[in-house]
Amino acid sequence: MTKLNYSCLFLLFFVGLSHSLGAASEKSVVDEIKNAEDRFDNRSVPLVEQVVDEAVLAKEEYQGGSFRVLARKAKIERYKCSSCHTDKPVTAQQGALLTHGDIILEHGSEDQGLSCIDCHHPQDRDYLEDKKGRKIDFDHSYQLCGQCHFRQKRDWLGGAHGKRVVNWAGERTVYNCTTCHNPHSPRFEKRFPATYSVELD
Amino acid sequence: MSSKKIKNEEIRTASLLEKKSTRRNFLKGLSIAAAAGSAALTTGCIPAADAASTEELKLRWQEFFKKNYRLMTQEEKDATVARLERLSKLNANLDVQMGSYPPLDGVLYGYAFNITRCEGFMECVTACVKENNLDRKTNTQYIRIFEMEPGQLDPSTGDGQYYHEVPVDNKFYMGTQCFHCEKAPCTKACPTKATWKEPDGIVVVDYDWCIGCRYCQAACPYYGRRFNWGKPEIPKEEVTRRQHYLGNRIRPMGKMEKCTFCIQRTRKGRLPACVEACPTGARVFGNLLDPESEIRYVLKHKKVFRMKEELGTDPKFWYFID
Amino acid sequence: MRALHERNLRTFLTDVIRWNLRGSLGVQLFRLVLVGFMGFGVYAYSYQARYGLSVTGMNDIVSWGFYISNFTFLVGVAAAAVMIILPAYVFHDPDFHRVVIIGEGVAVGALVMCLTFILVDLGGPLQAWHLIPVIGIFNFPSSILAWDVLVLNGYLLLNGLIPAYILYSHYKGRPADERKYRPFVFLSIFWAFSIHMVTAFLYQGLPARPFWNNPLMGPRFLASAFAAGPALITLILAIIHTSTTYKIDRSVFNKLRLIIVISAIINLIMLFSEVFKEFYFPTHHSISAVYLWFGMDGHNSLVPWIWTSVCVNLLATLVLAFNPGKNNPKVLLPACLFLFVAIWMEKGIGLIVPGLIPSPLGEVVDYLPTWVEFSVTLGIFALGITVVTWLIRAALIIEQNYSGV
Repeated sequence: MTKLNYSCLFLLFFVGLSHSLGAASEKSVVDEIKNAEDRFDNRSVPLVEQVVDEAVLAKEEYQGGSFRVLARKAKIERYKCSSCHTDKPVTAQQGALLTHGDIILEHGSEDQGLSCIDCHHPQDRDYLEDKKGRKIDFDHSYQLCGQCHFRQKRDWLGGAHGKRVVNWAGERTVYNCTTCHNPHSPRFEKRFPATYSVELD
Repeated sequence: MSSKKIKNEEIRTASLLEKKSTRRNFLKGLSIAAAAGSAALTTGCIPAADAASTEELKLRWQEFFKKNYRLMTQEEKDATVARLERLSKLNANLDVQMGSYPPLDGVLYGYAFNITRCEGFMECVTACVKENNLDRKTNTQYIRIFEMEPGQLDPSTGDGQYYHEVPVDNKFYMGTQCFHCEKAPCTKACPTKATWKEPDGIVVVDYDWCIGCRYCQAACPYYGRRFNWGKPEIPKEEVTRRQHYLGNRIRPMGKMEKCTFCIQRTRKGRLPACVEACPTGARVFGNLLDPESEIRYVLKHKKVFRMKEELGTDPKFWYFID
Repeated sequence: MRALHERNLRTFLTDVIRWNLRGSLGVQLFRLVLVGFMGFGVYAYSYQARYGLSVTGMNDIVSWGFYISNFTFLVGVAAAAVMIILPAYVFHDPDFHRVVIIGEGVAVGALVMCLTFILVDLGGPLQAWHLIPVIGIFNFPSSILAWDVLVLNGYLLLNGLIPAYILYSHYKGRPADERKYRPFVFLSIFWAFSIHMVTAFLYQGLPARPFWNNPLMGPRFLASAFAAGPALITLILAIIHTSTTYKIDRSVFNKLRLIIVISAIINLIMLFSEVFKEFYFPTHHSISAVYLWFGMDGHNSLVPWIWTSVCVNLLATLVLAFNPGKNNPKVLLPACLFLFVAIWMEKGIGLIVPGLIPSPLGEVVDYLPTWVEFSVTLGIFALGITVVTWLIRAALIIEQNYSGV
């Protein structure tokens, strides 16, 4: 075999191999996702953990239909409010203990913030009240919060705000607004991080 | 005359090359070499060969010669998982439940990170370290959070080692981890196919198949992979017992590891530990093939971007702003 | 030397061993020192095998360090044997024909060192059998590392078996049949280029590392290899010429000098090209070059390293090019040594470590090898020198005996 034969063979070998080394394609996973329109049966996924906290069926629907939201009434220490807030005035002794003195109201800007009756129903203290006078249940406070924070509510319904509880599959249960946000001072407090990253030596 | 002289010269020097050294010199050299060699080899070249029972040796022998996980049948997978559970009990007296469950049909995992909502609390990092049995001694963390100056989206401009009260005013926070690329450069680089992309989109590592060459770590553009430079040390009471072969089982020394989207949780419908731990709800996880999922909502309605998109790695991890 | 009719393969092996265990006191001491280094290297490696690679200076950011740096450089030295084989077999230069066997010995020694460096760098060396096709999985052709394993072992076989055949024929007192090995010699010429290009592609093919991801890596590797390799071979030939009776003609040294100078100049031109690209309009992709040449965030351990390397490289190239002293070995041999060391600095640590710093997320660290890495490296170098001396000693004895017959 002459030198020329060898060089030709070698060249062919290399060209052939470079072709097989994967041509760059322009396809992206985004295209695959856009074309995936078949309904996925969430319930087909065998779950290992169940949601233990009490949840109620939400009064609105998201893009996948109905969903559940964590109940809040059990977390409110002195619910039902009507046990104290009846037509009768509250006695001074009870009042001293129970006048909600521990609540710091910092909702909105400093001088134009919300007051108590902006959200709480002035007559029926077991409910909240929106700006149209409708009674809103504590478990469904999102209907009230969403009046002003409509963007966050829209995102929360869709899933871009808030979080699912425990599972990504199965029946959808999400955190309620007040599970994460203290309604009286909703902004998250500054704190130290849970940990830090060490510099690699 | 001169040729004869040259020939004599050559014979003399040829014999010089073959000159017999004294036997003593030779033996001395040989014995020193042998002593050095044997001393070196006996100073613990073979790790932990002490007091191993025959059962343990038999299990380790079988584990040594097993196939690549991807090529195993489900029976072989269950067998290796059983062996590893038993070895964990024998070695460390640790009861673990290891799974080898396969990917779910019709599922492709996707992840979204809200850089408006992240406040830098790093709860995700501690949850990940605990869930995935990461080495405490070297502070291995799959997730990195960067404190960023507005105006730049590049983590190299941010501070990945902050430790002060957060959030700092007019700074935002951005997290990175393995992005589980659809066109992962790491899986292409591995010479033994010890790392691959599972059908549900998770890029996994078969820790026992990996030879520890770290080529995948050189190939990853996102600092997604970690190497076990030493033997991982986790306090026994903090070990997460529910494990998966490809996920959070305790890795051997000298092997590559990475975020697996908490495969031990997500294949059973649970959220990854980081998503579950985030106090601000900045992390979204779900099935990209489910048009009604939250992740699809984010991709459809939010302004999303991916890191180093120009590299063509096609990651399944998006960032978005509110 | 035993009689011709008594010689066979078994005696070939025993004779080679016998020749290499004999020698003057100086030679024996030299061998003892090498064995000492190898022994300490084994001890250091056993320490590493027990406690893991954490005993080295490497970490998740600088995941490749001293071992891979030396591996990269030595592949070049191994490939450079082609610069001896090419004139000998393609241009039929008789002077080069005399030294071809020495070049191949150096190539084998360098390759043994390369493969050993890879082995000591692995986190799971016991799992190396996973690479073997059929019983393991060999990710060919996707993984460039798989390609590298293939080409390095193939080159080792070529450069091992061809000289073995020739030497054995000469040992048996008969001429080697050129028709049998000539095609493999030509294959090894192409293969030499390919081993170094493939090693370069290991780095070149990673878009995650912009310092490496440029088309000039492959050609630059070849240029620096063909400067450093022949420089080493020149030094080895000079040692052989002065300390044995195997005389090497001046013309070999002159021609080697020419090869070295041309390659070194091309290497410097390519270096300038890379530096221009990085610093004329620095982009985000230039941060590794900035770290290397000027330091970053207070980390500047490699700055004196690279500047020394480039200055010494330039100086040595100029000396070799302008040849002051008119082929005086006292000028040229130190120049070859300095060139070799300068290219080792720049192609080893000066290439691998900056490629990994800053990390893909922009974090900067410094890298310093530990005693484990130094000891194991010295041990492997001692192993390489041992292999080379064994091969060359056997080859020279056989060749001298053969030409005598």
